[in-house]
Amino acid sequence: MTVAGISHRDQCAIVGIGATDFSRDSGRSVLSLACQAALAAITDAGLKVEDIDGLVRSDYDAVSHNDLANALGLTDLTYWGATGQGGGAPCGMVGQAIGAVMSGQARHILVYRALNGRSGVRFGQRKPTGDRVGGAGGMEEFFMPHGLTSPGQAWALTAQRHMHEFGTTRDQMGHIAVTCRKRANANPAAQMHDRVLTLEDYHAARMLSSPLGFNDYCLESDGACAVIVTSAERARDGKQQPVLIRAVAQAASADPQAGLYMPTLMRKTLTTQPSADVARVLYGRAGLGPSDIDVAQIYDCFTITVLVQLEDYGFCAKGEGGPFAASGALDMDGALPINTAGGNLSEAYIHGMNHVVEGVKQIRGQSTSQVAGAQTCLVTSGIPVASSAMILRAA
Amino acid sequence: MGDITQIPLPSTADPDTAGFFEAASRGELVVRTCHACGHVIHLPKALCDRCHSWDTGWRQVEPRGRIYTYSIVERQVHPAFPAPFTLIVVELEDEPSARLMGCLPGSPDIAVGMTVRGEFETVEDVALLRWRLDAD
Repeated sequence: MTVAGISHRDQCAIVGIGATDFSRDSGRSVLSLACQAALAAITDAGLKVEDIDGLVRSDYDAVSHNDLANALGLTDLTYWGATGQGGGAPCGMVGQAIGAVMSGQARHILVYRALNGRSGVRFGQRKPTGDRVGGAGGMEEFFMPHGLTSPGQAWALTAQRHMHEFGTTRDQMGHIAVTCRKRANANPAAQMHDRVLTLEDYHAARMLSSPLGFNDYCLESDGACAVIVTSAERARDGKQQPVLIRAVAQAASADPQAGLYMPTLMRKTLTTQPSADVARVLYGRAGLGPSDIDVAQIYDCFTITVLVQLEDYGFCAKGEGGPFAASGALDMDGALPINTAGGNLSEAYIHGMNHVVEGVKQIRGQSTSQVAGAQTCLVTSGIPVASSAMILRAA
Repeated sequence: MGDITQIPLPSTADPDTAGFFEAASRGELVVRTCHACGHVIHLPKALCDRCHSWDTGWRQVEPRGRIYTYSIVERQVHPAFPAPFTLIVVELEDEPSARLMGCLPGSPDIAVGMTVRGEFETVEDVALLRWRLDAD
């Protein structure tokens, strides 16, 4: 699982975390949000702005490395990069930063995601009438003319298939929504902090695209998150307790498919996702397995997205994600507490970058839903696109 | 369905996928196939992803299949597709490794595995495959 004998295991650390407030209408530019999260992360790390010599962004981010370097007044930028796609990116972005640090291209890399995801460009918004769709390798020409126009609809098709193959129920998906909401209720920064959600509320809410209802969908948010990656050696002298990156992985070995999410409906299976590939590579690199994970931040654009990953990351057998989610295993006193800040479902939709920030907080012991004695945290990024994940651990 | 003038019509000019729409305009459903190894290249591309031959073409299949999965859309996202309507993913009877997206009006009594039959409907200069549940 390593190339030419070089392993990044425990070689790098996250030394700073930063976030903006999360809202439906930030009233600020995406660039301002990125700057705000960046400055918060730099302050948290006890660094100076001029210490930042590398930037990694998501391929979806409106803020380019030039934009942020200019706005922050960086004077010594020696590395920048981007990876994707979208929600599949954040852990891969950290992996890219590790590569740059270990190859000596930069010392302190700021990894960021900023968006006005509610007040600005919203996912699933239609293109202007009259525009032809597809035709650029993304294969949308086979989907959008038939009414598939949003990620929620695509995940509904996957959820229905999971129900058909394994008998998964809405009630089981509801447990995931309720669990994330409970963690958000404990997190004052979460957009859903003041909104209680019971299983009864979940069932009473309106159906959007069956079998997915209102509370199966994540939030739409304005906000930004940023973290700083450096070497484990430099991290030892830092202001914060260093959080080691045990291992990171990107993987897309089986049936990757073109474009974005729509062509993934053509894969041989919908109920095993690229997360299964990521899990295999990640656990191999980490020398750890699912039983070693104390707490997990699992990418949750939809409840079903979590359910499939619980299986793919080996916390239960394939097909058992529903019963596992409904068993209480995801609660604070369960086998695998998840999404302890509320996740995309109930904290904010910062495209999974908020999951990275929360993973660091768990290892530092700073979460608003702290898992006692957490030594390892799995952080995953989005599917159905080719995905990424990492394991954080205490130094 | 809804206002057909609002349907997001497919680009039919991509060299990799244009043959699908050309065949559709003749009323034929085709899948892209490798002449060297017989692999079905779906969704269609010029290069065979199995044997890497560029010698690929189109094979006609019957517009019949089974529902692989479905969703009843109850919240409208696009004006051409007023809710409720039903999204379906169809596994082709002649070539189950190839699936196609489709939709049905309203919220019919539907289940995975039901058989469907397609015919083409012309909208502007494009022929779109429209599926119907078999009456059995």
